[in-house]
Amino acid sequence: MGKYVLKSLLQVIPVLFIVSLIVFILVRVTGDPVALMLPETATAEDRAVLTQALGLDQPLYTQYMKFLGSALQGDFGQSFRYGEPALQLVLERLPASFELAVAAMFFAIVMAVPLGVASAVKRNTFTDLIISGISVIGKAMPNFWMGIMLILLFSVMWGVLPVSGRGGVSHLILPAFTLGVGLAAQMTRLIRSSMLEILSQDYIRTARSKGLGRMVVIGKHAFRNGLIPVVTIMSLQFTSLIGGTLITETVFSWPGLGQLLVVAVNTHDMAIVQAAVFVIAFIVVVTNILTDVAYRLLDPRIKYD
Amino acid sequence: MKKRQWTGMWITLLAVVLVLSACGGKTTGTDSNSASSESGSSSSASTTLTIAAATDIESFDPHNNNNTSSEAVLVNVFDYLIKNDSEQKKVPGLATTWEQVNDTTWRFKLREGVTFHNGDPFTSADVKYTLERVAKDSTLKQNSYFKNIVEVKVVDEYTVDIITDGPDPLLLNRLSKMGAGILPAKYIKDNGFDKFLKQPVGTGPYKFSKWTKDDRVELVKNENYFDGEPKWNEVVFRVIPEASTRVSELLAGGVDIAASIPSTDIARIEGEADKKIVKAPIQRVLQLIFRQTEGSVTADPKVREAIDLAIDKQGIVDSIAGGAGIVTRTSVTPGNFGADPSLYQTSLYDQEKAKQLLQEAGYAEGEAEMTISVSSQYKEPAEVVAAMLEQVGFKINLDVLEPSAFSERYSSKSFKEIFMIGIGNSLFDASNNYNRYMLDEAKGESDYNNPEVEKLLQSALVNMDPASREKEYQQVQQILAEDRPAVYLYQMEGVYGTDSRVNFEPRSDEMFYADEITPAQ
Repeated sequence: MGKYVLKSLLQVIPVLFIVSLIVFILVRVTGDPVALMLPETATAEDRAVLTQALGLDQPLYTQYMKFLGSALQGDFGQSFRYGEPALQLVLERLPASFELAVAAMFFAIVMAVPLGVASAVKRNTFTDLIISGISVIGKAMPNFWMGIMLILLFSVMWGVLPVSGRGGVSHLILPAFTLGVGLAAQMTRLIRSSMLEILSQDYIRTARSKGLGRMVVIGKHAFRNGLIPVVTIMSLQFTSLIGGTLITETVFSWPGLGQLLVVAVNTHDMAIVQAAVFVIAFIVVVTNILTDVAYRLLDPRIKYD
Repeated sequence: MKKRQWTGMWITLLAVVLVLSACGGKTTGTDSNSASSESGSSSSASTTLTIAAATDIESFDPHNNNNTSSEAVLVNVFDYLIKNDSEQKKVPGLATTWEQVNDTTWRFKLREGVTFHNGDPFTSADVKYTLERVAKDSTLKQNSYFKNIVEVKVVDEYTVDIITDGPDPLLLNRLSKMGAGILPAKYIKDNGFDKFLKQPVGTGPYKFSKWTKDDRVELVKNENYFDGEPKWNEVVFRVIPEASTRVSELLAGGVDIAASIPSTDIARIEGEADKKIVKAPIQRVLQLIFRQTEGSVTADPKVREAIDLAIDKQGIVDSIAGGAGIVTRTSVTPGNFGADPSLYQTSLYDQEKAKQLLQEAGYAEGEAEMTISVSSQYKEPAEVVAAMLEQVGFKINLDVLEPSAFSERYSSKSFKEIFMIGIGNSLFDASNNYNRYMLDEAKGESDYNNPEVEKLLQSALVNMDPASREKEYQQVQQILAEDRPAVYLYQMEGVYGTDSRVNFEPRSDEMFYADEITPAQ
């Protein structure tokens, strides 16, 4: 087991290395930050001075080696826009994104568990059909559109929830719901099929034939076991929530990592783009390893080699 | 058994997640209640002003900022020596009087008894530190506007001489814009610049309270402001990049003023009883700039005239800009030094004559092929322009670029026949519009070359007599209107949505001076 973890961790290094290289190149071939930083009246001389001050006059590989060298020491350079260390800016935003992702996950669970169980228990009935329909719509609805619609309904028309920004629990509801719906739809279907499989198992039939109540059979025997694969998928999905909040954060002006990244791309703030993508990649890779380990522990049939 | 343990663990984890999210909510909840920007604003309408803009400030360093939305916030914290009033007339700020000593020296008398937010008195030393910093540090974004200041001489505690490297008719304009915000010399020397950026201190009517990046800037009243007690207890600038969210926030009553309202939402806001749209022309003129390099289609004056005549500018204002624009034949609009009103609020449009001119220039239908490069933010007007030009017989390749790619091509001067751009003027002076048509600057970009214009521009650059300088720029304008190194489409207007809780008259410089905004009684 320890060996497996160690091996996985070693694989992280080349992955992050490749991510850093790709981002570095993409960021540099897409535009000139100096032009964006200077006023319209700046002369060619002003541009030259700033280009040199930022080290952008050096060959690409020199710039990359320098970037890599400092990145290894946790220094991703200074944000052009804010003039502060990029990594620090990115890490400052993590709690906001994490809060949103956790809340979205909470919504997803609260919605998916009862719906999934109900549609499995009432398999092929009208209820099942309705729930399946809802989950297809939920999965297909674009976050952007849904966010705007929720704002119109709950904030503009009914005035019960704040439109945007980060604040109390009330600020969290709409964005978390928007972000969580897609996941909920996916989980509903997963719980349904997982429960269906278990409901057809011998031990459920045994439990029923012993004369146990319907709720006890479903709640105590089937549900617990049906949850295991769902939980594994959930932790995998959590990483995509962290990385995938860009649109939701923009719609709701949620000051998290996603919004930081969108603004950084627009203003060509290279250091932030690099640091943000790197941090997201890091979270995804590490979470994947942890999930993998957990999965292997859950199911002893999988070997660690 | 093993499976059971794991289920237990996952359920525990789930519980932890739930508690976590609840806690996270609660702690920040108290925070926002005290900020009272949302629900609280109705009960304390006269004490908190909330403004929503599309972009965040860059930092609290007025010297290292280059966007209007930063300055719009920072003017409430930092004062200039000279202020522009809402008509762009120079009025005393931290300087009470000023006079020109000789061609390169101006003397300023400073206001006495002013203190910074930390209690330090404001003196000549602060002016010297501030202006010499921005003039000498070439890595600062405002440096190019101030580098012609050679020295700031302290005459006495409340008098300074500002010395430039040559005659500079624009010095007063420079001193009343971002980059001239006066910083506390002693506070910065004692605490370092990093501390200053975290706890900025100025002399302005509002004091820094809190900045959550990409979310909000909170300012509180400076009780000791030299110009009387400020009107609002608290001023909150919120950042809401998504336009439809900004509009919703206004409609839901979360903000008092929302900036940059898209033309498609104007009717929706006007339809609400207690909301209103207010507009003001801003310092930005949308224009097409031509390459006149020999061999280029647009080198022919007849072609350029045909382009001008083919475009229905008023039509673009009405259809694309939702009426928020003023047609013009000059980019030096009223309120700027050197403006020529005869070329303002007017435009040319004659498709038949345009067709005829194109024929005279020797092009049959579809033969005059041109590329128009434009940044994606102006994609829609560019599409309409392209369609109008094709109607009279041009063949247009529309080259829509992502903003940073556009900037790069712009600074490397590598556009083809035409590029479309909205050009602002933060100095409120015609030189800012026309220096690009001076030989050296035009080289490689428009390659515009007119010796008469060159002479007038060179002279105006150092002419310290305002009356004759103004004439020079007006003459240049008349020549350019015929020469057409550029065709002007329209002056843009700032469109704001406001709540009836406040009275707000937008300014042409797009600043939000909180004290010019008053609670409606």
